[in-house]
Amino acid sequence: MRLHGDRLSDYLSKMRGSVYGSPPRVSLPEVLWSWAGAFLGIAAVAWLNQWFFVGTDLTLAIGSLGASAVLVFGAVRSPLAQPRNLIGGHVLSALVGVTCWQWLGGEPWLAQAVAVATAIALMHLTRTLHPPGGATALIAVIGSDQVHAMGYLFVLLPATLGPLVLLVVALLFNNLPAARRYPEFWL
Amino acid sequence: MTQRSSRDSSEPSSAQGDLADIEFTDADILEAMREIPGYLDISTMDFRAIYRLAHRHALDRLFSGITAGRLMRREVNPLTPEISLAEAIPSFVHQGLKSLPVVDGQQQVLGILTETDVLRWLGAETFLGLLARVITDEPWIKSDPYHRAVGEFMTSPVVSVPLDAGLRELLAAFASHPGRAMPVLAADGRLAGLLQRKVFLAAYHPDRRS
Repeated sequence: MRLHGDRLSDYLSKMRGSVYGSPPRVSLPEVLWSWAGAFLGIAAVAWLNQWFFVGTDLTLAIGSLGASAVLVFGAVRSPLAQPRNLIGGHVLSALVGVTCWQWLGGEPWLAQAVAVATAIALMHLTRTLHPPGGATALIAVIGSDQVHAMGYLFVLLPATLGPLVLLVVALLFNNLPAARRYPEFWL
Repeated sequence: MTQRSSRDSSEPSSAQGDLADIEFTDADILEAMREIPGYLDISTMDFRAIYRLAHRHALDRLFSGITAGRLMRREVNPLTPEISLAEAIPSFVHQGLKSLPVVDGQQQVLGILTETDVLRWLGAETFLGLLARVITDEPWIKSDPYHRAVGEFMTSPVVSVPLDAGLRELLAAFASHPGRAMPVLAADGRLAGLLQRKVFLAAYHPDRRS
């Protein structure tokens, strides 16, 4: 079983990570730009939600938009943060999430697992990988009763319009600093 | 009569290996990442892997269009083994070449006759050695071999390359023998042309490419 032992030690040694460590910390101005961008982006979403949707059956603010703000304002260059991924990832994942809730809602643990896993697979296949999409799919299943009641409207309202608001703010804001540009690509 | 150069292109020649293996330290990469404002979500290992592969692709792209068939000189009048040196030597002079392929009636390459082969027959290893003897006027140059056949003096077997040989194969072939030119063979083994080392070097010089 020597081979087996070698494989096991290879396997375990991968868990140590490479010796090279994490990327360097960004400069202080960069931190401030990220802060200001995320502030404006989330403010826009929350403000619109507060004025137009509070008290209705609809909502614009979902938790996964906070994760999108990390990428769009904190890792501007990342392929994960580009418009194709930002919009595509949320929309596809919301579709998957709502479908899973409606088809598998009787078995919540299964619906949740299938939703997130399928959302990732679909984002991979469509080159729209956007980590917050996984959260969107999960939210559609776990929901609140309000989210569940929206049905496929959830895809349109928070999951399309929310990222669109972030996208507009990111376009306007991320191109102000000389050292930033957004997007790297559209489609 | 001919031997193909080895086509082991999976093993890059050392010269190209050196080109591709510019090693970055992690400090180099991290410093570069620090100079680029904004967060880059790649690791130093990612960078290294991308760099290595991209470099290899770039080399392949730069040199992919160049093959033995495109670099070779087509207008070559080869020798035949039965003609005498007396007839062969003017052929070198007219064609401005220092080596000529020797072929049979079917244009199959039998060997190559080089200036060095002729000098060796005259008893000198180099042209300077010959010159020294001529100047001291030693009565040693015999004229009878002058009428002997090319086949007796040619280098055989000869290293040759196929028409589609690219950078790696040509480098390996030129490195495997001291000759300044190699016959290029068509798929059926017939002589297609002559590839000169100086032409090959000029074509692969990176600074001279547009």
